[in-house]
Amino acid sequence: MSSPLVLLPGDEIPSEYLPSTSSAPLRLGAGLRLLSQPHPTTKSSSTPSHVLTATQAGILSTDNKRNAVSILSSPHRRYIPTANDLVIAQIHHSSPDYFHCMITPQAPHAVLGQLSFEGATKKTRPMLKQGDLVYARVLSTGLGAGAEVELACVNPATGRAEPGGLGPLNGGMVFDVSTGMAARLMKASSSSTGEHQQEGVAGLVVLDELGKKLEKAGGFEIAIGRNGKVWVDCSNSGDAAVKATVAIGRCLTTLDQHELTAADQKKLVSRVLRELKIEV
Amino acid sequence: MVAPSATLSTLNRADGSASYQCPSTGSNILGSVNAPVELPGRRDALRPEDATIEVFVKPGTAPAGVGERYVEGILKTLLGRVILGREKGYPRRGVVITLAIIGGENVSRGDPYLILLPALLHTALLALLSASVPLSMTFSATVLAVDAAGQILREPSAEDAATAQSLHVLAFSSKGHLLLNESQGAFDLDTWEKVRQRASAICHGTQLVSADGDVAMAEDVDGRPLEGSLREMVEDQVYRDYNWQINAA
Repeated sequence: MSSPLVLLPGDEIPSEYLPSTSSAPLRLGAGLRLLSQPHPTTKSSSTPSHVLTATQAGILSTDNKRNAVSILSSPHRRYIPTANDLVIAQIHHSSPDYFHCMITPQAPHAVLGQLSFEGATKKTRPMLKQGDLVYARVLSTGLGAGAEVELACVNPATGRAEPGGLGPLNGGMVFDVSTGMAARLMKASSSSTGEHQQEGVAGLVVLDELGKKLEKAGGFEIAIGRNGKVWVDCSNSGDAAVKATVAIGRCLTTLDQHELTAADQKKLVSRVLRELKIEV
Repeated sequence: MVAPSATLSTLNRADGSASYQCPSTGSNILGSVNAPVELPGRRDALRPEDATIEVFVKPGTAPAGVGERYVEGILKTLLGRVILGREKGYPRRGVVITLAIIGGENVSRGDPYLILLPALLHTALLALLSASVPLSMTFSATVLAVDAAGQILREPSAEDAATAQSLHVLAFSSKGHLLLNESQGAFDLDTWEKVRQRASAICHGTQLVSADGDVAMAEDVDGRPLEGSLREMVEDQVYRDYNWQINAA
């Protein structure tokens, strides 16, 4: 692989970096835009009539399989809702038809239908109060300026909570991480179920390591929202539940602030567990 | 000439932030950007398709006054041309930029604010990049003073600025457009043209066209072009953020 290409807003993307294999149209991801004919003076047969330019600073990331190209920008950025993202939202208030939820602070509330839960009918629907948490999928972000973001905890086509785990989150605790770390954790947990790799996916071994070490204490449940929230529940752990939750939270926030290698991540896990006097 | 230095994403809670030091003017600016956020009230009613940009400049020791309002206006106009306020998630929302002057000589009431303007512009740009706000291009800016003998002085200190005949702030986009031209004092058009050429050389380097038509970026008395220094600051941060991915690949 060639060295990563770092782009700044206004930079053109050299065509040799674009995936060239398939005939399918190129998908543009975040941080890129298509401009037509930037140099009308340089007329030559090889010059394409369109040019891709970056709008954000970051590394160019290409996906040959999906024929997609996007820019990985700062991991501390604010989350902007995108359809099909999984988020952890907090109920702010409810109205007859909708729950009004917060995804990020200082952003308008997203709406979550009172009946968009698995198996919900008018008689049996979750009674969520202010401050309750839900794990939901972004259904649509609307069109145009000032449109409302709509969430759902159910696939409207099948009536099932797909992918599993969507719905109210009871108990547990939420930790804030950066949006980049949340994306990394999701990438790591979604692919580690399939094939097992020694080095971990996306350079993360901390969750596998915690899972191994806390297995005796009862294990834990975790939900990761793309909006930079991680929900952790250790209610099976009995007496050590609070300690284990705090340990997981500490590991994740430390990892977010410092760049750690796989070996350092394992050391971090053992150190945190030792400090909190959790038996492994 | 000592190049300015900066660190990105220094603040934890802001969406994007930058801390910028310019040794020659002695300014030290901390900037934060929050975007896109919901603005109270309906101040966006005039341009509902676009993002509203708000700039706040906070002096270190005194409450903000007329001088700060004046530079806030300049910054807002320039940044409004660079920020793509119609991208997804931005229309009807606010881009709030706060710039705190935390070091260097304070500008007292009535003094020229132009010496600080390039540092404020660079801090705002780096903070916007760190917050991943969509921009159409980047820019670089410099301040030049012309003394009584007609000598052009780059990035003058406060004393030099006080004795100068005229002060000029020029900003160039990464594509070479002149984005901002603020001048103060008495000068003629020839002087301004010289100032523009010098400023362009500081921001982009002098372009030498060699015999075979290649354009080479040369370093001269002004050292490295500002454009390159700013790019390097951002690249450093990107490499630090994506260390895990670059090492794995």
